[in-house]
Amino acid sequence: MDPGSRRQQRTLGLLAGLALVGLGTLVLLPGRDSVTVATPALVLVVPGIVAGLVGGRLAGVLTAAVAALSLDVAFIEPYGRPTVHLVDDVVALTAFGAVALTVATLVAQANDRRRAAEQRAQEVLRLSEEKARIERDQHRLSTEKIALEQAEDARRALLRSVSHDLRTPLAAIRAITSDLRAGASYDAATRDELLDVVGDEAERLDRLVANLLSLSRIEAGALEPELQAVDLAELLDDRVRRLSRVLRDVRVETTLPVGLPLVDADYTLLDQVVTNLLENAARHAPRHSVIHIDAREAGDLMEISVSDEGDGVPPSQREWIFEPFRSGEASRSSGIGLAICKAIVEAHGGTIRVADTHPEARRPGPPPPPAVVAAEPATGTGANGLHVPLPAAGPAVPAAPSGRPGSRFTFTLPIHRVRPDVARPEVTA
Amino acid sequence: MTTDDAALGQPLVLVVDDEPPITRALSAALAARGYKADVASTGQQALDQTALRDPAAVILDLGLPDLDGIEVLRRIRSWSNVPVIVLTAEGAEDRKVAALDDGADDYVTKPFSTPELLARLRVALRHRTKARDGGAGDEPVLVVGDLSIDMPRRIVEVDGRRLELTPKEFGFLALLARHPGKVLTHRMILQEVWGPDYGTESEYLRVYASQLRKKLAEDPAQPRLVTEPGVGYRLIDRDTPTG
Repeated sequence: MDPGSRRQQRTLGLLAGLALVGLGTLVLLPGRDSVTVATPALVLVVPGIVAGLVGGRLAGVLTAAVAALSLDVAFIEPYGRPTVHLVDDVVALTAFGAVALTVATLVAQANDRRRAAEQRAQEVLRLSEEKARIERDQHRLSTEKIALEQAEDARRALLRSVSHDLRTPLAAIRAITSDLRAGASYDAATRDELLDVVGDEAERLDRLVANLLSLSRIEAGALEPELQAVDLAELLDDRVRRLSRVLRDVRVETTLPVGLPLVDADYTLLDQVVTNLLENAARHAPRHSVIHIDAREAGDLMEISVSDEGDGVPPSQREWIFEPFRSGEASRSSGIGLAICKAIVEAHGGTIRVADTHPEARRPGPPPPPAVVAAEPATGTGANGLHVPLPAAGPAVPAAPSGRPGSRFTFTLPIHRVRPDVARPEVTA
Repeated sequence: MTTDDAALGQPLVLVVDDEPPITRALSAALAARGYKADVASTGQQALDQTALRDPAAVILDLGLPDLDGIEVLRRIRSWSNVPVIVLTAEGAEDRKVAALDDGADDYVTKPFSTPELLARLRVALRHRTKARDGGAGDEPVLVVGDLSIDMPRRIVEVDGRRLELTPKEFGFLALLARHPGKVLTHRMILQEVWGPDYGTESEYLRVYASQLRKKLAEDPAQPRLVTEPGVGYRLIDRDTPTG
């Protein structure tokens, strides 16, 4: 309690005490000859108690003193003067004074203690609130810290994987050129092989740089496909030919239905998607296995799949395999290729997903009898959510010679719809 | 190809890296210099082949898909003294130091120059030959280029000129001279010369190295005593063919 309000309390207590002394005196005064001095003495103890309760010890003591004086003057003969004649009255007055003072003091002390206890209780409450607030702050800060650490981890992972991916081709190129420069003597075949490695690694760097540029465009929100009608057969054929070095240890089979419509796509970006998927497949495919590319119509969309005969993508990794810098542990890649595929496909309004080429290879025990090919809705636009099995003409899904699940990446693109009134003259011309 | 290599016939070198372009480049370079090259692409393969084929040296990339390269090194060291040269990524000084402290003979930073890697390989192979033929460090007089150190008499001469060295300077120089061409980490030098309670006081070594260079009258462009920043020091043997 602050000193100002304490003084106020004391004044209030004193005034209340004095008022009660006055009141008690006035009430008892008319009958003072018919009662003994004990009655007013008992009544006049009360103002001291009240003053002590309200105003503290000083107010109580002063009130008790005034009450004693009032008792003497008003109720003990000779009236009207602060004097005492009888021994009885002296004893009564002294006892009164002692009782009034003691009671007022005790009451005031008890009151002070109660107040102090209340204050302490309030303090405890305040401190516990403060503690809770600090704990909330700490929790918030630690949450923020975790988020920051995660961002920092992601940044580090980015730097680590990009620098690893940039450095590996550079290391091979530098090792070979420094070696040739030092005049190492090679037979023609080895020399050609080494020069091929330099060429391959330079191309790998080129693809990586293309991906990094796309990534920066994606992050800047500047990925705007320039749509044109693209003939998938032409694009796939050209890309497979250009990747012949990357794909030299595998066989690529492309199965496209006759009369496949054109798709609406940015040629360069779509080329990058196909490149990344083929490079990814080549990285995970066993030697001499088959990488299969197929495409088919699904409503308004074209579904394009790249399947390999590798170990597949475990279901637990399918959630984040398209996130940047999250390639599988054993993978030798920066993990941005698939993230870029996703961003590009989505910028075209399509979707991308991965499944097992041979899901039965993942389950222990004998493979189940052949069933309808995956019943997975394409993009929500499919009529009944069921894939129509591919025409029997092509071996749509290659046999898995090794019993590996294989991974099958499927993405969708809008089919180029020719409006008859516009297109007709063009076609005939 | 040096005479050392010839003396060993066709030494087998195990190349451990998970990047086929690197292993192809190194295999070809090694074969062209009269080595036989084996390739392992995982840590487990590296351990198996080291045990089975007993190579003359191992070139070990620290970034392997299955085991940490330093763990592979530790396991090899638990039974074999085969010279190991580690390949590390740039900027991983702590990894280099850890590898050297765990018994690697040398390191090369990617991207590396093949002639430099081969020079390090020759130094490592010569050390092993020397150790096998009588134990390195037992010779009374160490000779590294024009530098000679008479161990029993504690006399150091450069080109016939006698140097006055403090005991610690002598210890520092003699330790490096016992392993010519090989990098020794700060910790190794401090514990050997200053005592087992030391290990992190690399500033001591900076001061002593600069004093030694003054006394050796080093040509700053071609120092004998080479600082490997963040890792340690090595004493270059000018007679070692490099390249």
